[in-house]
Amino acid sequence: MTGKEKRKLANRSVVTLIALFFAFLTLLPIWWIFRSSLMSVAQVNAYPPSFIPTEWLWSNYTKTLQTFEYWTYFKNTFSIIIPAVTFGVITAIFCGYAFARLRFRGKNLIFKICVSTILLPGMVTLIPLYIAWTKFFGLGDTYWPLILPFLTGGGFFNIFLIRQFLMTIPRDLDEAASIDGASRMRILWTILVPAIKPAVVVVGMMLFIQIWNDMLQQIIYINSMSKFTFAIALTNFTGSFGTNWPMAMAATFMTILPGIVIYIFGQKSFVEGIVLTGMKN
Amino acid sequence: MEVAGIYSTSEAKSMKRASGKRKIRTSQSKYNRKEERCAYLCLIPAFLGITFISYLPTIAVFVLSLFSYNGLSTPEFVGLDNYIRIFTKDVYFASAVKATLLYAFLAVIGAVIYSLVIALILNMDIFGRTIFRSIFFIPYLLPAIGVFKGWQWLYEQNYGLFNFIFRMLGIPPQRFLDSPRQVIPALVLIAVWASGNLIVIFLAGLQNVPTVYKEAAQIDGANSWQRFWNITIPCIKPIIFYNVLTALITHLQVVNPALALTNGGPAKKSMFLSYVIYMYGFEKNKLGYAAAFSVIFFVLVGIFTIVLFVTQKDSIFSDEA
Repeated sequence: MTGKEKRKLANRSVVTLIALFFAFLTLLPIWWIFRSSLMSVAQVNAYPPSFIPTEWLWSNYTKTLQTFEYWTYFKNTFSIIIPAVTFGVITAIFCGYAFARLRFRGKNLIFKICVSTILLPGMVTLIPLYIAWTKFFGLGDTYWPLILPFLTGGGFFNIFLIRQFLMTIPRDLDEAASIDGASRMRILWTILVPAIKPAVVVVGMMLFIQIWNDMLQQIIYINSMSKFTFAIALTNFTGSFGTNWPMAMAATFMTILPGIVIYIFGQKSFVEGIVLTGMKN
Repeated sequence: MEVAGIYSTSEAKSMKRASGKRKIRTSQSKYNRKEERCAYLCLIPAFLGITFISYLPTIAVFVLSLFSYNGLSTPEFVGLDNYIRIFTKDVYFASAVKATLLYAFLAVIGAVIYSLVIALILNMDIFGRTIFRSIFFIPYLLPAIGVFKGWQWLYEQNYGLFNFIFRMLGIPPQRFLDSPRQVIPALVLIAVWASGNLIVIFLAGLQNVPTVYKEAAQIDGANSWQRFWNITIPCIKPIIFYNVLTALITHLQVVNPALALTNGGPAKKSMFLSYVIYMYGFEKNKLGYAAAFSVIFFVLVGIFTIVLFVTQKDSIFSDEA
């Protein structure tokens, strides 16, 4: 090994160590939630704290499940997420396609009007939308006010992302197919969509996170306990458990688990998608 | 494939010719009617969205802010009374503006610097880069409620992780979320931790920095610090702008930590504007008054957005992409 190579290896190792340190800090809270969820109350309160539970009390989870109706909240949360994400992705693809590939009058103006809505804070429209959904349409205490907005593409940012990605696909691909007599919609769904799969995954995941994190709207629209989602249930749950932190953490860990699982499966195309999308300008 | 290749080149030529003559041609021939119809059909969802989810409610909120409305009785027109009350008598207004701006300011700075540092590390040639990349993104994907409940436990005064660490280091235990002085920094730390989306976007930007520039600079004898300031930073300036803008809009709207953890306390120090809107609108049923708060909020966010746009000319949202 030459001196230069040695120095390069040393540099690489130092930076990796720094990365390791940050990764440790990033994962520590998640580990701490998990490790606390498996301990007894006495154990979590002990000093010095143990990093790994001495005894793994999986029974905390069965006990938590007796009062924390996990599967009800799971079903409720996903009955919002699944239709909203599905429709959101489909409509974002249609709109993104129109902006990326089709020529029509007023395109630039329409595009600018749409882009401006990205900057509109959701808080501003909260009250009028609430009045509209509950007073005019009578949809209070249903999931519709949480799902229907996603039938419009779930915010223009997703449409923008699909458009950016479609523009990187060479037009030759469409043209070749149109000679073979394929219609526009067939080209879009059988050729273009598979070609932009990472972007579709990104949009799906972004919508997923958006709904996941939208505690406020779930709280204002849903009233009956049988319709509670994770966000509403967990807010109430830890309150009622007072200082029983192991059980509160068991409920918390079960709530974040679907996110981790989905990420493990979609992780590759997700990171790839955002990186490839490149946010180029 | 061969046929397609020939066709596309010949069409490309004819398109070039056509675009050269575009000025002479009428708009009739520039647009294909079938294509236009298809485009408008595709855009129906976006049209409905911007009309009914964005623009109409924005107009409605201005109108509603001039009324007194509790959600049940008929709305009563009160003119500018709601605004006058907010600016002169409201007990939350001043603290809400202060809390929101302080939180947004610290969260944007913290999140942007943190994610830029992580992205720079991930852009270097390190061992296990793919694994690291996935790790830093995880916090962003966890549901907000789970994140806040988990961190509530980390911040717990007697047995929480932070006070355990402080005790080991000989620092007296802190009250974090229960301390008027520490509540905002404590909440900002959670936001910084969960800013994985910014990391990925920075990373994408860094990968688009042409390596030729760096190599050329290296030959010219620039050290890595100079290369960073004079090449990397100017190249990713639009990305920095984009991240600052989106983070600012996100963090100005902060409401989840107040809903999940603090209820605006202690001592109104985390009484964010969005939380005040929620409180007046849905706990006290003063919908008109809450609408006036929304308008003020809209103006506030608008000012910051405009300032950012004016200071940065080449925006990422330009349609020339």
